[in-house]
Amino acid sequence: MTEVAKKVDTVKLTIDGIEVEAAKGELVIRVAERIGIAIPRFCDHPLLDPAGACRQCLVDIEGQRKPSAACTQTVADGMVVRTQLTSEVAKKAQEGILEFLLINHPLDCPMCDKGGECPLQNQALSNGREESRFHEHKREYTKPVPISSQVLLDRERCVLCQRCTRFSDEIAGDKFIDLMERGADEQIGVFSGRLDVDPAEVVGETGLEGAIDANLLDAPFNSYFSGNTVQICPVGALTGAQYRFRARPFDLVSSPSTCEHCAAGCSMRTDHRRGKVMRRLAGDDPQVNEEWNCDKGRWAFQYATAFDRITEPMVRDPKSGELRKASWPEALNAAAEGLLKARTEGGVGVLTGGRLTVEDAYAYAKFARVVLGTNDIDFRSRPLSQEETDFLTSVAGKFQVTYSDIEAAPDVVLVGLEAEEECPILFLRLRKAANKRGTRVTSIAPFVTRGLEKVAGTLVPTVPGAEATALAESAEVRAALSKPGALLFVGERLAETPGGLSAAARLAAETGARLAWVPRRAGDRGAVEAGCLPTLLPGGRSLVEPAARGEIGAAWGLEVGDLSERPGRDTLQILDAARTGALKGLVVAGVDPHDLPDPAAAEEALEKVGFLVSLELRLSAVSRRADVVLPVAPAVEKSGSYLDWEGRVRPFDAVLRSAAMTDARVLDALARQLGYQLGTADTLAVLKQIGELGETRAPRAAAPTVDAERVAEPGTGEAVLSTWHQLIDLGALQDGDEYLAGTARPPVARISKATAAALGVADGEPLNVSTERGRVTLPAAVVDVMAPGVVWLPTNSPGSTVRRTLGVSSGATVRISAGGTS
Amino acid sequence: MTTPSKEALAKIAPVLTKRWLSPDAWKLSVYERLDGYTGLKKALKAHPDDLIQLIKDSGLRGRGGAGFPTGMKWGFIPQNDGKPHYLVVNADEGEPGTCQDLPLMMADPHSLIEGVIIASYAIRANFAAIYIRGEAIHAARRLRQAVDDARARGYLGRNILGSGFDLDVVVHSGAGAYICGEETALLDSLEGYRGQPRLRPPFPATHGLYNSPTVVNNVETIATVPYIVLGGSAWFRTMGTEKSPGTKIFSVSGRVVQPGQYECGLGVTLRQLIELCGGMKPGHNLRFWTPGGSSTPLLTDEHLDAPLDFEGMMGVGTMLGTAAVQIFSDQDCPVYATYRWIEFYHHESCGKCTPCREGNYWMKGILRRILSGQGTHADLDTLLDACDNLLGRSFCALGDGATSPVTSSIKYFKQDYLDYIEGRKAPMFSPGELVGAH
Amino acid sequence: MGQFIGTLKGFGVTFSHMFKKVVTEEYPEKRVPLAPRYHGRHILNRHPDGLEKCIGCELCAWACPADAIYVEGADNTDEERYSPGERYASTYQINYARCIFCGLCIEACPTRSLTMSNEYELARDSRQDLIFTKEQLLAPLLSGMEQPPHAMYLGDSEKDYYLSGPTNPGSSAGAEKNPAHRIADRDGKVAQ
Repeated sequence: MTEVAKKVDTVKLTIDGIEVEAAKGELVIRVAERIGIAIPRFCDHPLLDPAGACRQCLVDIEGQRKPSAACTQTVADGMVVRTQLTSEVAKKAQEGILEFLLINHPLDCPMCDKGGECPLQNQALSNGREESRFHEHKREYTKPVPISSQVLLDRERCVLCQRCTRFSDEIAGDKFIDLMERGADEQIGVFSGRLDVDPAEVVGETGLEGAIDANLLDAPFNSYFSGNTVQICPVGALTGAQYRFRARPFDLVSSPSTCEHCAAGCSMRTDHRRGKVMRRLAGDDPQVNEEWNCDKGRWAFQYATAFDRITEPMVRDPKSGELRKASWPEALNAAAEGLLKARTEGGVGVLTGGRLTVEDAYAYAKFARVVLGTNDIDFRSRPLSQEETDFLTSVAGKFQVTYSDIEAAPDVVLVGLEAEEECPILFLRLRKAANKRGTRVTSIAPFVTRGLEKVAGTLVPTVPGAEATALAESAEVRAALSKPGALLFVGERLAETPGGLSAAARLAAETGARLAWVPRRAGDRGAVEAGCLPTLLPGGRSLVEPAARGEIGAAWGLEVGDLSERPGRDTLQILDAARTGALKGLVVAGVDPHDLPDPAAAEEALEKVGFLVSLELRLSAVSRRADVVLPVAPAVEKSGSYLDWEGRVRPFDAVLRSAAMTDARVLDALARQLGYQLGTADTLAVLKQIGELGETRAPRAAAPTVDAERVAEPGTGEAVLSTWHQLIDLGALQDGDEYLAGTARPPVARISKATAAALGVADGEPLNVSTERGRVTLPAAVVDVMAPGVVWLPTNSPGSTVRRTLGVSSGATVRISAGGTS
Repeated sequence: MTTPSKEALAKIAPVLTKRWLSPDAWKLSVYERLDGYTGLKKALKAHPDDLIQLIKDSGLRGRGGAGFPTGMKWGFIPQNDGKPHYLVVNADEGEPGTCQDLPLMMADPHSLIEGVIIASYAIRANFAAIYIRGEAIHAARRLRQAVDDARARGYLGRNILGSGFDLDVVVHSGAGAYICGEETALLDSLEGYRGQPRLRPPFPATHGLYNSPTVVNNVETIATVPYIVLGGSAWFRTMGTEKSPGTKIFSVSGRVVQPGQYECGLGVTLRQLIELCGGMKPGHNLRFWTPGGSSTPLLTDEHLDAPLDFEGMMGVGTMLGTAAVQIFSDQDCPVYATYRWIEFYHHESCGKCTPCREGNYWMKGILRRILSGQGTHADLDTLLDACDNLLGRSFCALGDGATSPVTSSIKYFKQDYLDYIEGRKAPMFSPGELVGAH
Repeated sequence: MGQFIGTLKGFGVTFSHMFKKVVTEEYPEKRVPLAPRYHGRHILNRHPDGLEKCIGCELCAWACPADAIYVEGADNTDEERYSPGERYASTYQINYARCIFCGLCIEACPTRSLTMSNEYELARDSRQDLIFTKEQLLAPLLSGMEQPPHAMYLGDSEKDYYLSGPTNPGSSAGAEKNPAHRIADRDGKVAQ
């Protein structure tokens, strides 16, 4: 940041004879750390409030009668601190505490997952006594107790440092675990539905399912952030079911990586052994995810090793009509021939999906323009609009908001964005800002979500489709955004509201608030910047600007006029054209037709299109219909970078060595077959090309100005549908992770009290939501504060695949009725 | 039963207890007839700052155990800070052997309420809470009735006695946790959270109940206030000693003829107290005693003439604590007594910090093993070392207090421990299964 | 002539040695008993009911200076139990092309699952065969033992297995003599 760092009051103190300057209010343990003195600790964590519970960090401070906990003691001028290195008192105190911690700690290190990377084990080895003086019985508990389908609790191992409970309370806001009992019986636990029964004992006997069924656990630890507690547990008390007993830390190879799930851009650590990823942990990036990540990022990675992974190219056998394995030359040859024919006969469209790295997206953008000679390319595989195309054209190349801006913002307005479900780390930062800095959060949404409650946010109750009106007319929103430093976050779902993005852009311009577009997938922002849009060239260059075309044409060595100035088709138009035969061929990357607004139409288009090339990781609805299938590498087996919602580059290296190729490399080979040079064979080469493009001098596109539309009034027995994805749902990247799936929020249909009363549906009773095409039946959840006449469904959860079953999306009018009957 | 000496009788000074023997002293009408609420009327005419000064001048020290000067505590409350102020009365009397707050609240609840009103007025609090021990249902019931009566008579509520001062008092019953007698744990419990001590600083004086300035005082301290207002600081200083002025209710229990509450000027000696109690029970000779509950190190018959005030007890290596004098005779076993006390601390430790949670678990185990005849000489060193690792290392004073009986009993009665270890005394418990180091 | 006598002398020496005691090792016909603590091939021992002692903790792999051991842990379930307690080794391999028979793995083993036998005939004609799998390393089932997976027969919890640990040596005795793991001699006779 360019802002000059504020001068802070400093004090001088001495730690182990070393004089050091520290900011007022800083903790002794941090200052010591800074000068390289490691004071042992268990409960202390730099991102959690001090607790002083474990007492391991006791140091000797001159003038104090007794040793002080360095994790709670703030510095003072002239303070003289002696740690275990120079003070016998501190050393003895720490050894004493360690002995206390160990008396009731089981000696099951050989089977404990933490063994080998355990702070308690390390401490005991470096500072502990050689022999135990403890001859009594150790505490014993049933072990392990699943406190969710993913997190297991071994109470015997717990040192009650309360890092997990403090994380859940302070950071995630999911106070699902807490201390129970007291004294030597104190333990971590989940809340019981019945006060007379100890849930842990029942869980021990019947397992989690039985306990939930018997209404003994009314709140298992189903936090989206529960994995962080496993990571910060200083002993092996909390372990993840997925990794349990799978490996030991010392035979894992750790590599830094970037999460491929959402647009939060989390830094990660991926641990693998013998070519197989064993686990993933949150990386430490103070600018982005701090030290946290969400459970999806941590535990959803087995899709890459699923049984249906494609490792060899396939071509459709002309005789049998079936796909058969083929060599790369054969497959590339078949693809080239087919594309050449399709290009001359009517053209080829490109659908890239939102999961590509910037480098791969760039390769597609260049492939479409240079090889296929078309602007029919779109990364969006979800509901979209022309307005959104124009909006994205205008925001491309602009990076206005960062994570740290949130903490400095007085007010944040969210529209079309449920941060906890759609960008969890953004949610954590919002919560931190709200709790620590008093940032006020306002959400334009149909009802108060749990996420909004946890940031103590205000709701502007809005029926789906009326967001544009709310943005234009809400005095509350305008006042909030008028404050200096205010931020306006628009989610990708705002594209579903006509005039929504226009209204947001207009409001931001009028109030001076900074605007951030938050997509849902890791590759979305990168695809915009790489030019995977019918109106955009790489680097935020608007296609209609001759200067922009000139820059790209020169960089790509094209003749004048080679770059078509005619804006291409968007995803829906491409699919339409493919269905009607206007487009003869399609090149499709990671797209699931079920994500599209009309999956049936999309599948029909894929069936009917003349020639279909699929670049895929696993056998999918697209690759099954393809004429040529070219396998590509999953994120873990390739290098590249994502752009997070901020536009920050999140580069990563390949974790696993494999023969799998990036999309960019496959496209390079395919282009070569067709007689073109893309030069995208390796990631660094692509980065070089992108770098050489530089900043554009061409004028940028203006934001769209689409008028808001009136929202249709639902009639009797009807409601306006609101829907978004839950973080843990049926997404293809969560395939195979059953433990994770068990922690998903149960799918429910949310309706207001008034609607529930009108239908005669009570909380928990089944509710039908139907359209011409189908019906979804879910238990009703009656919401206190909700815009009238709205029903909310999870977009893609078990029992509620809205687009596939109902064929509609947010803002549509659907029929609602009570009971499970039609 | 022996007759007390003249010196002993001279130490008796009924101030707080002066109404206790009057019939129905707990009733508002009786209380009013016996000078009740006159202190309040006087106080409401004074400026709050003058009241704080008065208490400072009187030298009143907290009766909850630590002996912190009450006037100073009140003076810490920041004024004109725009935040609400609170007075919280700690009536969570749970220290083993301590029994003066509950009799006071049973016999003379209005004196506490009058004190609460005056103290609230002085610190500008409009809300006061009395946190009463959960098990003391009888006292809570009586106190609630007294609060209702006082409110009906206009001593509580809006515009008290026309002074323009508003105050509401809530009597809150705890859930039976010793730790909630620790002032910050008490505040957490009062707020509805799990009762565990809070991190200090910030102190309750600035960030107490609901993060607002709060005074937490013991029942006896607050109940003394009306008498100081009436009698003045000079009168108050005529009792007790120079550094520990005033009177204190000593709750004497154990092997004496007449155990009970004896209110004396601070500085009384155990010899005099035993005389007041009618002497030791026939056939019993004093062996060891606690000056202020189990958290204060034990004393023996060598300390019969040590003055029972804050300084005098410090002088013999212990603390006045809550002035809960428990008297044990030569028929009592100091090892067993220590075991029972540690069992108490083990049961009541809140579990927040390691040394208290694990230290008490361990000490209880060792003591039980010694009493089972399976102790070793090394166990005594281990016990002392465990105490060393616990004292001053725990989060709050509960852990510190737990070491007192262990260290002091080993100091004075090591032979008793050795008798069990070396098999001269019959085991108290049947031997358990030894596990061995693991 | 002298030459002829010299030749006879030579034959004489040869002939006389035919009746002398030989000084070379008569291997493999006769086997010299080894020192009892000779570091030979490893054995994965069993509990007396046949359950495996190995808990898949990988400490042996960690201790191994030659990186010759590879272990993968997995969960025991009540339906499929291989060892007492929660964890067992789903994969256990020792690569005898790498092993230096130092015995550090034995010291590292927390359950005395891994011990060494006196078996030293480890020559194989392919590298692949030198990687011994768990099936090859496991001690044979003695009488009273049952092939896992099966329930814990010695008690309700793993404690019953470990508290009687010192008196529960399991068995490695004779494991190296397990016929299944022996390479047959040329004439098909398994060496004893």
